[in-house]
Amino acid sequence: MPAAPPFDPQAIADAKFEEREVRPGVTTKRTICQTCDIACSVVAEVEKGRVVKIRSSDNPIFRDNICMKGIMAPKGLADPTRILQPLKRVGKRGSGEWEKVSWDEAISDIGQRLKAIIAKHGPEAWAVSTSQWNTATDHGLGRRIMNHVGSPNWISGVALCAGNTAAVNRFTYGWFPMGDFANTKCIVLMGHNPRRHSWTPMYNFIRQAQARGAKLIVTDPRRSSSAERADIWLPLKAGSDAAMMLGWLKVILDEELYDKKFVENWTIGFDDLRKRVDEYPLERVAKLTGCDPEMIAKAARMYATEGPSIIPWTPITDMQRNSTSGIRLQSILRSVCGYVDVPGGERLEGFNPDIINESTIEMHHVLSDAQKAKQLGSDQHPAFTYRGQEAFREPTKRVYGQEYANLIMGCHMATPSATFRAMAGQGPYPVKAFFFLGNNPLMSYANMPLIIDAMMNQDLIVAHEHFMTPSAQLADYILPGDSWLERPWLMDSFGWMSSVRPSEKAMEPPGECKSTFEFWKLLAGALDKPELVPWDRLEDFYDYRLEKTGMTFDQLVKKTDIYFAPPKFRQYEKKGFATPSGKVELKSSILEELGFDPLPYFREDPPVDPEYPLKLFTGVREDGFFQTGHRHIPEMRKRHPEPLLFVSPGTATQYHLAEDEWVEVENEMGKISIKVAIKDAMPDDLIRIPHGWWKPEMKQGAGHLSGALKYADAQLCRDDADYLDREQGIPHLKGVPCRINKVEQSEQSVAPASAMEPAE
Amino acid sequence: MSIDEKLLRKRERSAALMMWMAKRSSYNKSLLDKACRWAVNRATTLPPEEDFLRDPLIDNDQGFDPDELDRYQRGETG
Repeated sequence: MPAAPPFDPQAIADAKFEEREVRPGVTTKRTICQTCDIACSVVAEVEKGRVVKIRSSDNPIFRDNICMKGIMAPKGLADPTRILQPLKRVGKRGSGEWEKVSWDEAISDIGQRLKAIIAKHGPEAWAVSTSQWNTATDHGLGRRIMNHVGSPNWISGVALCAGNTAAVNRFTYGWFPMGDFANTKCIVLMGHNPRRHSWTPMYNFIRQAQARGAKLIVTDPRRSSSAERADIWLPLKAGSDAAMMLGWLKVILDEELYDKKFVENWTIGFDDLRKRVDEYPLERVAKLTGCDPEMIAKAARMYATEGPSIIPWTPITDMQRNSTSGIRLQSILRSVCGYVDVPGGERLEGFNPDIINESTIEMHHVLSDAQKAKQLGSDQHPAFTYRGQEAFREPTKRVYGQEYANLIMGCHMATPSATFRAMAGQGPYPVKAFFFLGNNPLMSYANMPLIIDAMMNQDLIVAHEHFMTPSAQLADYILPGDSWLERPWLMDSFGWMSSVRPSEKAMEPPGECKSTFEFWKLLAGALDKPELVPWDRLEDFYDYRLEKTGMTFDQLVKKTDIYFAPPKFRQYEKKGFATPSGKVELKSSILEELGFDPLPYFREDPPVDPEYPLKLFTGVREDGFFQTGHRHIPEMRKRHPEPLLFVSPGTATQYHLAEDEWVEVENEMGKISIKVAIKDAMPDDLIRIPHGWWKPEMKQGAGHLSGALKYADAQLCRDDADYLDREQGIPHLKGVPCRINKVEQSEQSVAPASAMEPAE
Repeated sequence: MSIDEKLLRKRERSAALMMWMAKRSSYNKSLLDKACRWAVNRATTLPPEEDFLRDPLIDNDQGFDPDELDRYQRGETG
């Protein structure tokens, strides 16, 4: 239990835990925000049938978990440009010519065309890309239909954001752990920077832990706000996280700071790991990371001795050429220090036995081995594909009661780059139908030029969307999606944790917007497989999933904000770990079997090309936006009117850059326009490119794509062999060579005046 | 460093108690639930001047007028 603060009657009186008075004519609904992927429990206030306000939950365990994006949702989703009716392309692909059609017409034609493509090219010719955060009522139904049809080619942004971390964590101890923030004594943030308006609950957890006395270690090239609050900040070179952790292990093993009892009883491969770690003396690690060896050692000692410690999930190690080793090293540090499945450490929660989980709904067992073997990318980069995860079936059944655990939806994916190559006609077989739901694939993966080619080479593209995104502009059909305010939801933590939370429907969807549940139900019917989605309504589906709790969805809503079983620790003592050996595999038997190095390692950067002397990192969004969304909201654009290039004062001086100057950033892949912002928190020679920029007000259609061709970072993200992680095939986004080109003054007006100003 | 078994068990009991209180706090129906909610709230509340989550943008948010949202959706306002 956190220590009680000094008793202050006024502070207690000011506390917001009591249910607030509601104005006349206003009703409230307890909902879960899906503006980003963190799912904050909030309250929606409803007046005249509309959600008029989003505010903090009244439950103290969720209090104040709300940000600027959440409170703007009622306006953002009432935007006049929101798509409210199905649209069918009538001109050439990307021509911007559409006609309104009914759902029945659209689904009937989509079903016929998809069946024809499958008949001609095989079921693997159908690929789907989703990002569940916006349209999260899918609950595995898409995979379920694909598995029955016979396509393994499902991709998602989780391939380089948390889903891949989940898959790779399994190589070490069979599950993806969640840090116990409430009881931890030391937190390590590897480049991640949760703050008041971005990843708010994590920020809340971290600040609460610090207020309780927990230590904070930050590894980040930037002097981020988290770095400023840290006990130790290691300003490492971008992309050198794996080298840093090898250095920590060197200190921890040499100084015998590890948990000998746990290592002896519950791990395999310790001696091999030790030999590998010996290849990384601190002097070498200091050179690779650019950090002081004494500080590296100090941080390692703090992590190992101040514990129980946690290394919360970070997107940074998800997006680099050493991603698999980096994620593995985090799991190895947790393990050798004895922090796995203990209070204050990292819990392996497993499935909630009372809930039918999404992995079960997906029915991966019905997809034949022959079709699984066709999953794109699994031959070269199998880590998170069916092939790479196959060996977990038996151990997962032994420990967690079922063969498939699709944690964070990231454990049975096709590799995105290989999928787009096949779509572009460069793969082992053609992919000719592409569906994307709540996802803007052109800008969400590396190598945007390839993805454009891939989409232009399709026979059928279907988007389920809110807005006319650059990707939607290239579709054959755009089907209007509902939003989190307009439907119920059962949040099951993407299989990561064993808790579930209900979210109430707060208002009717506008126009003809429908949920992903309805989308898949209609498609199942159009594919002559209505039995795959037998539930009439989303609520009926949730009742089915909750049957073992003895409650319906409505009853769960009335009972609680969150449903979970009592926590259990050190479960491995009963059933072992869900790995082939039943132990923590410091040396991974599965990676070895797949032909990869079973121990973590560090691949250094390719030699510097003098043409591209700077390095960029991307993946970061401004607080007002999530991924490629929210650029249409006037209040958010007022805060962030243009994409900003962060450079250090030293770099600005070296390249004669001035604040607010428009420049180009260029590399072998392409170039983008961006405005300079000089930040003394940035290190020299490293620049920051914000993720996901386009301008909804700019010209639509092929060749324009609403400014995506001018601003989108995905045009600079490489996916050639030097810039892919070997085991997963995900791109390196943390230290990509580039240069800054000065732009003539006359060329500085890069967009119409209306685009230069917020729309407000 | 290996952790003392006794200490570990104590931490496990404490963590389980905390989760139980969070669960009851979320029910918020019976007297016991409400007592748990009060205790959880008290344990997690910081004095306003130290409350790192206080933010004018959030704290002063008045929400929207439903008629104004209707007009906005119809494209009648900016």
